[in-house]
Amino acid sequence: MANKSLQSLRAAGFLPPDRGTRLLRFRDLIRISFREVVRKRRRYIGVMAAIALGTAGFITIVTMGRDLKANFNNDLDLLGGATIIAAHFDPQMYDRQEWFRTRTIEAVEQIPGVRDVTTSRLRSGATTTYQEKVYGFNLIGVDSNYWSLFSFTPRYGRLFTAEDVAEGRKVCVLGQDLAKTIFGAPEAAIGQILNLDNNLYHVVGIIGGVRAADKTLMAFLPISTAKARIPNISEISSLYIRCNTWDDVAPVAAALETVITTSQASKGLRVQVAWEPLQQVQRMFWWVSLFIYASIGATLVLGGFGIWNIMMAAVTARTREIGLKKAMGAEDSDILWQFLFEALTVTFTSAFLGVVIGRVGIEYMSRMLGSSPPEGLFFLCLSAGLAFAAVLGIGSGLYPSIRASRMQVVDAMRYE
Amino acid sequence: MNNSDLVIDIQHLTKNYNSGAETIPVLKDINLEVRRGEMVAIMGPSGSGKSTLLFILGIFQPATSGVYNVAGVDVLSLDRDAQAIFRREKMGFVFQSCDLLENSTVYENLELPLIYTGVKRRDRSDMIMEALQRVNLEHRVRQPSNRLSGGERQRVSIARALVNEPEFILADEPTGQLDQANSERVMDYFVKITEEARVAMVIVTHDASTAERCSRRSLLSDGLLKPY
Repeated sequence: MANKSLQSLRAAGFLPPDRGTRLLRFRDLIRISFREVVRKRRRYIGVMAAIALGTAGFITIVTMGRDLKANFNNDLDLLGGATIIAAHFDPQMYDRQEWFRTRTIEAVEQIPGVRDVTTSRLRSGATTTYQEKVYGFNLIGVDSNYWSLFSFTPRYGRLFTAEDVAEGRKVCVLGQDLAKTIFGAPEAAIGQILNLDNNLYHVVGIIGGVRAADKTLMAFLPISTAKARIPNISEISSLYIRCNTWDDVAPVAAALETVITTSQASKGLRVQVAWEPLQQVQRMFWWVSLFIYASIGATLVLGGFGIWNIMMAAVTARTREIGLKKAMGAEDSDILWQFLFEALTVTFTSAFLGVVIGRVGIEYMSRMLGSSPPEGLFFLCLSAGLAFAAVLGIGSGLYPSIRASRMQVVDAMRYE
Repeated sequence: MNNSDLVIDIQHLTKNYNSGAETIPVLKDINLEVRRGEMVAIMGPSGSGKSTLLFILGIFQPATSGVYNVAGVDVLSLDRDAQAIFRREKMGFVFQSCDLLENSTVYENLELPLIYTGVKRRDRSDMIMEALQRVNLEHRVRQPSNRLSGGERQRVSIARALVNEPEFILADEPTGQLDQANSERVMDYFVKITEEARVAMVIVTHDASTAERCSRRSLLSDGLLKPY
């Protein structure tokens, strides 16, 4: 209908031929909309801040999610070792006792989701003599992963390093009560010499940490040293595996049995997972995640409602301006696009600010956690943020824009 | 004058408003012809229907019956978009309240009709400066509109009405908010533009001195338009 009327006017020579300027007008409308938002920025600053912070939160949380989970693991694991899987061979009464072979341990390390694997050898009933007194204790040979896997920290001195293990150094770490019993005070043990089976070992540290309470009467040697120098020490009959996150525990536990069984004889194998603490941690994190995402969603939706509200108020406040523009020859679509672009300008500018703030947040958190989140995930979040800005802008701006575009010129011009 | 000079041709035009069950006739039988280079004043007391007639002339609202042709085209039968295109191609408006876009410069006010018409950006500046020169305001081109005096604002309105080189200009009480000196000045510009650009002009006013400057005057009374 519209085209027919226009064509007849143009055919009659009353109107000039179509200049094909719709795209030109479109570009100008974008420019005008941007200018309008910049000039009336005080009106939009509140909702822009809400959308920017919502977008920043979304990008930061999603991009850093895995690293945050891993970090939570370390902290929450102290409560129950939810991401630690233990594999043992039960003692065999009549058959040969199985132990973990090197190839098995290497295969376990390759299972996706495994962060650390540690092994130990045990010698029960070890003794030492100090100032003519004899002391009994359990002796464990461990590798350097042992400390980080169980979140042990040095209470005094230091723990073994990878070099101590690799070079089979004659150093030892003691439990706090054992050190106190032998040397009078834990700190007094540092630098002392401990005699074990006619070998002398330097005491380099006292074990500490939340989980150290059941290790207070033990002594620790590098596993290589223990194997070479301690008679009657056991083979490796226990493996401890720490997973990257608690989401990895179930698949790793499922894969573990298969990997061990295909690598060696596995009679008496037992895989233990702390399912109850794991579920508690997962439940807690699920609620925390829900709360965070709900907060971000609410912020963004509130921002959207804010824009909707402002745009509705703007349509009323600018009624006369709309009438004036229509009197100057603006088509309904020109008015619609202008208001819609204003809403989109607000959401896209806010989203862009959010991306910048989010990027800064990611950099800051990465440094704090010592992690490097995947760049691909950031760009995925960035795209999602911009797509959401488009949806928010159209969702909140469309109705006010349609209302503005459908306004009758005469009503708009008479509006006081 | 010949028929090709005829710009506005109104025959037996009526406009009724409905108030509940009651029909109120505002314009009863309007006949009006305006040619190029003519400046017609439509006078009348408040409530006589001057603004209604102006809104119909500007195709802001439909008539109840009658014919309204512009250069032989029945503009009241056009659909909404065609009316908008017709307005931007053929008409210019000057309003009593010196309606300029606030928070915009003089340049931006004059640029808007050119944007809607689809004039390319590089051509706009010359057209804007030419329109401003006609009202001697080219030196104020970058001024924000809210820093202009009342007289200057109305002159910018005139320049904006002219910038698209319209066939005719409709002015609603163009001197209504101006003092005597500024009113005289604005009317000087109207006379000059009508003569130089051969534009048809319809001025709705209740001010006798403004009407005096027009080439023809009509009085709208009781819904009828009579020579004055």
